[in-house]
Amino acid sequence: MNLRRTKTFFVLSSFLFVSAFWIYLFSQAELKYHSPQDVAALLKNLAADKPDLCRLILLGQSAGKLEIVGLEIAAEIQKFKPGERQAVLIAANLEGYHLPGTEAALKIARDILNAYGRDKNWTEFLRTHTIYLFPLLNPDAASAYFSKPKFERDFNARPVDEDNDGLIDEDGPEDMNGDGFITTMRVKSPEGQWIVDAKNPRLLRLADSRKGEKGEYLLYTEGLDNDGDGQFNEDGPGGVALNRNFAHDFEYFEKRAGLYPASEPEVEALLKFMFDHHHIAMVINFSTENNLLNMQQTGQARVGADKVRVPRQFATFLGLDPETEYTMKEIIDTLKASGFGRGMEIDESMVATFLGLGPAMTIDRADQVIYEEIQKVYKEGLKQAGLDYLEKRAKGVGKGSFAAFCYYQYGVPVFSFDLWQVPEPKKEEKKEGITMDRLKSMSSEEFLALGEEKIATFLKEQGAPPNFNASMLMKMIKSGQVTPARMAEMMEKMPRSRPGASGEEHPEGYLLTYSDSVLQGSGFVDWKPFQHPQLGEVEIGGFVPGIKYIPPVEQLQNTLKFHTDFCLKLLEKLPRLVLKSHKIERLGSNTYRVTVYLQNTGALPTSTAQGRRALTAYPLRVKLILEPGQRLFAGKPVEALPFLKAGETRQLEWIVQGKKGTQLRGKVWGNKINPLEFSLKID
Amino acid sequence: MKKINALFCFMTIICLGLGLTSAVATQKVSKGNEVRLSFDHFYDHAELTKALKALEKAYPRLMKLVSIGKSYQGRDIWAVIINNPATGPAENKPGFYIDGNIHGNEIQGTEVALYTIYYLLKNAGKLEYVDRLLRDRAFYIVPTMNPDSRDYFLHQPADSNSPRSGLVPYDDDRDGQLDEDGPDDLDGDGSITYMRKRVPDGNYKTSPENPLVMVPCKPGEKGEFILLGTEGIDNDGDGLINEDGPGGYDMNRNFGYNWQPNYVQRGAGPYPFCWPETKAVRDFVMSHPNIMGAQSFHNYGGMILRGPGAKNLGEVLPADRQVYDFIGKNGEKILPGYRYITIYKDMYTVYGGSIDFFYNSLGIFTFSNELDFDQYAGTQPRRSRSAEEEEDDSRPLRFGGGFSEEEILYHQLVLMGEQLVEWKPYKHPLYGEVEIGGVKKFGRRVPALFRLAETCHRNTAFVLYHADQLPRLSFEEVKVEKLGNGLFQVDVRVANSQVTPSISALASRRKLHRPDRLSLKGQAKLISAGLLQDRFRQLVEPVKVRDNYFLVENGIPGFGRVDFRLLIEGSGQVKLIYDSLKGGYLEKSLSLK
Repeated sequence: MNLRRTKTFFVLSSFLFVSAFWIYLFSQAELKYHSPQDVAALLKNLAADKPDLCRLILLGQSAGKLEIVGLEIAAEIQKFKPGERQAVLIAANLEGYHLPGTEAALKIARDILNAYGRDKNWTEFLRTHTIYLFPLLNPDAASAYFSKPKFERDFNARPVDEDNDGLIDEDGPEDMNGDGFITTMRVKSPEGQWIVDAKNPRLLRLADSRKGEKGEYLLYTEGLDNDGDGQFNEDGPGGVALNRNFAHDFEYFEKRAGLYPASEPEVEALLKFMFDHHHIAMVINFSTENNLLNMQQTGQARVGADKVRVPRQFATFLGLDPETEYTMKEIIDTLKASGFGRGMEIDESMVATFLGLGPAMTIDRADQVIYEEIQKVYKEGLKQAGLDYLEKRAKGVGKGSFAAFCYYQYGVPVFSFDLWQVPEPKKEEKKEGITMDRLKSMSSEEFLALGEEKIATFLKEQGAPPNFNASMLMKMIKSGQVTPARMAEMMEKMPRSRPGASGEEHPEGYLLTYSDSVLQGSGFVDWKPFQHPQLGEVEIGGFVPGIKYIPPVEQLQNTLKFHTDFCLKLLEKLPRLVLKSHKIERLGSNTYRVTVYLQNTGALPTSTAQGRRALTAYPLRVKLILEPGQRLFAGKPVEALPFLKAGETRQLEWIVQGKKGTQLRGKVWGNKINPLEFSLKID
Repeated sequence: MKKINALFCFMTIICLGLGLTSAVATQKVSKGNEVRLSFDHFYDHAELTKALKALEKAYPRLMKLVSIGKSYQGRDIWAVIINNPATGPAENKPGFYIDGNIHGNEIQGTEVALYTIYYLLKNAGKLEYVDRLLRDRAFYIVPTMNPDSRDYFLHQPADSNSPRSGLVPYDDDRDGQLDEDGPDDLDGDGSITYMRKRVPDGNYKTSPENPLVMVPCKPGEKGEFILLGTEGIDNDGDGLINEDGPGGYDMNRNFGYNWQPNYVQRGAGPYPFCWPETKAVRDFVMSHPNIMGAQSFHNYGGMILRGPGAKNLGEVLPADRQVYDFIGKNGEKILPGYRYITIYKDMYTVYGGSIDFFYNSLGIFTFSNELDFDQYAGTQPRRSRSAEEEEDDSRPLRFGGGFSEEEILYHQLVLMGEQLVEWKPYKHPLYGEVEIGGVKKFGRRVPALFRLAETCHRNTAFVLYHADQLPRLSFEEVKVEKLGNGLFQVDVRVANSQVTPSISALASRRKLHRPDRLSLKGQAKLISAGLLQDRFRQLVEPVKVRDNYFLVENGIPGFGRVDFRLLIEGSGQVKLIYDSLKGGYLEKSLSLK
């Protein structure tokens, strides 16, 4: 099909344009999805063509032995050493089928390289920053889209015994009807649970026995029972889903998530890279998650996470009451007063370890405010770009996901964009009141602002039990026990006997509409009879793989433009330190009070609250470097400032003894900020 | 006493019953290069390497020495595989894994592991107990997981608590510099001890009974000294002393089950298995899926620990708990004074410990022993110790330079001052005139050398007892009944004489590894099969027959048996094979006629 032609074109083009690749890059981007091989070739060529601006990163190999490449973009590396520059990581396609993400990452690279030398701000940005770009992190899974038969895959090629029978990868899917897709087989059976949907006869839905409906079909993925165990395609080639293999809220005992966090070479390589480059201060991630539209976090908020009980054996030792809850600060103070750990700095992490407290499961309130501000701008932008349909199906960050890792463990702001969703015919929405979709993206404060009456009406509409009333819910929200997003999720899961459920729109009806109206029907394979060697008479059909995530590439233009522009704006928000002013006052003979005003002129704090809790964001250190003959009379030789808020100015003071006319030098550094040096003349 | 006797009687009976065949198999142990190892000193990595190579040379048939990886500083991490090949390949036998010294300062685990190797090899063909173990178990032993810090502890100035970490440079104080301010051996005596300063308003004084003992002042009392922590200076000029020493992480918080990052579990490291040493052990253990029992050695406090390490994991499944209790309680008899306890409940919380990974992710029954007591306390704790005294490493207060009178007396009179530094003046760049002194690195946590051999032997005895309690399966009964038309009904009983099941309850619930397999080889077809639930009522629960084999999802329980009924079509000689990943491999020939 189409695919083969573009592939041939690429092979040709890479021969023709190798030397003139730069020109190709600056030309209007070629519209196509880049395969893992394409991405590798593209980045290699870029690095070869612009060695002063780009460096190739060989991150490692996938489980299937495909190489994972990235690009380091930085100008004038003599200005700051690359390891000292504030850096941004742009990651895409950990899920394999999220090909739009790869295109977005490539477009960012293209736009920013294009701007270098032309646009003053971006030129300066690249002189003082490093961008690490990984456009395709799951080549094993992504390859499934570029080979035949196509199937939807988010896992790598690690051999896994999914059905635990001692045989590995012995029963994968097959393209029985030879149409190039792995779709679905339906077979009539007395055990069948599925029936044809009345409104959309191409779709199937579960029979509702309460309505006297009788199931007709069993469904299987297209293929054979290769190992004769009665199951179909239960143990195919691969693998572990990389976006579930990170360590925050990892799902143990889920084979798709891996045996343990970072078990996969792709994930380990990325983590190693990130911890070796701890100056990365922001992550932009392209995946099926959109954490600005859906702030749902991976797990449930813990009740009273701010206060903790002290286990009995420690409580007795410290003279605390094991039944009372204490704040961390109270516990730390008690520990210090007890003489425990003499000379050691006791911090929250030490206490948390000691008491066996768990990890943070919600966005810290201080960080939440920042996210909400950016969310507001983002939503407004989406509306203007006509992309607000994204909101309806936006997914929050998943368990064990990269985005969750970036915030909770790596401790930096992370912005995850899904870029595209299957568009859906708009339904009339009530202007007033709450809808389930609105609820998902609401902050706790917004929800509470609705007032008890509106909330009560909403609960009634949703058929909530009478003992679950509005005031109780508001209390729960206030205490942080539950978030609006979490509540929406729970409500959706509630079993409801809604009248006329079978008369409702089929949940996949919008996909069919999209296939018919936008894809000219190519998104759905019509059911056709097939003589299956094991199952006998079956029908094969259903949605083509990737329909939900991979639109025809032309459809991405608008969203790619909007999102890459938005990401570039995010980069401008990074914190940066300046020496705003200083004051030197003479107190007496050769004695001076030196006051320095340090400002964060960025639109983000110098570290997130979670980064400080996770200890990955170092405090800012301010050190006075004294010359011979200079002496510090008062003030700390090395001052540690936890952080500076966006725009905040901090005053630092020393009393120094030194000769008039000499220079007083100092430096400021942290791990996620560009270092600053100053030299003041004592005058 | 009575119970101990009963236990040993029980063991002896087993020895007599099962020892005969194995004695024949292990007779031909090489006599050429006899190796004599002593357990009255600590082995550094070079010595350990030499000893292991000598043992391999002396017992080439039973022992294989492999390097499972290199430490950060490039030392080989040695693993010893012990198996009697005459009784089958190692992978066909339940495996037992041992590691020691994951914490660099907890050195005596290495001697215990080395002693276990030595004991097994030396007694092969001589002791029936050992021959039985060599006949149907394989041993995988890593004497030191942390050779870098081991050598650092033995040869560099150190104190009894450090280096616990590996030696990958680590930014403990988060200032962008790595390992820039560790302790300094100011007095040059090869040990890091403590600093005190004489001041008129001190909060410590010396004891009137013994001037080496420091006593905290009572309220209102006038003191003579302040304590200034461990020996060292402010190397990086940030105002703090010894805040960023060698390494700074904990490899026993780096394993991939219930792992939590640094801010929840101090020392966890950036992600599971990020260190070369933990990675090497992970790969070694995972590449020997027959391993069913495991043991780690730490110090100190006299404990036989089991998981879970953290409360969020809940209690061990009841069936598996019985196995732990059976072995752990008998362990208390082998190791007088040691208590069999649970990490999170009775000690402190550990996320990402090796013990939880081995049991929860790999289905291996694992203990961790805290070797030895306070040196001066005798062979067992002098008095019952309260919970907070027992947890050791996180209690810097106890190591802050305060010494009890009995400890000082022990050092003066029993060790004759060998591990004691009497306070000597020193001119400190920051504190001015100070005094340096206290107990040296070998004076605490590790056993005194005159007691090392007992630590080694008793803990080896515990380990071998656990290894002996791994599953020992047999075809207890096989009955063939001819049904006519070439059909045979075969009843097979597979029994397990030991407490450990062939699959842990957790492993079968969580599907951690493949189930056991019963298969048929020969000119015959397995038509149908089932578990015989009730032989009197002939109740058979069918199982899914695959290509002449079926899976036994729950394996064979400890001290239990499972009856199978097979329907076979064919004739002549056939072979029944019971193949358990962790429980061993059995074959039996049958003739269908």
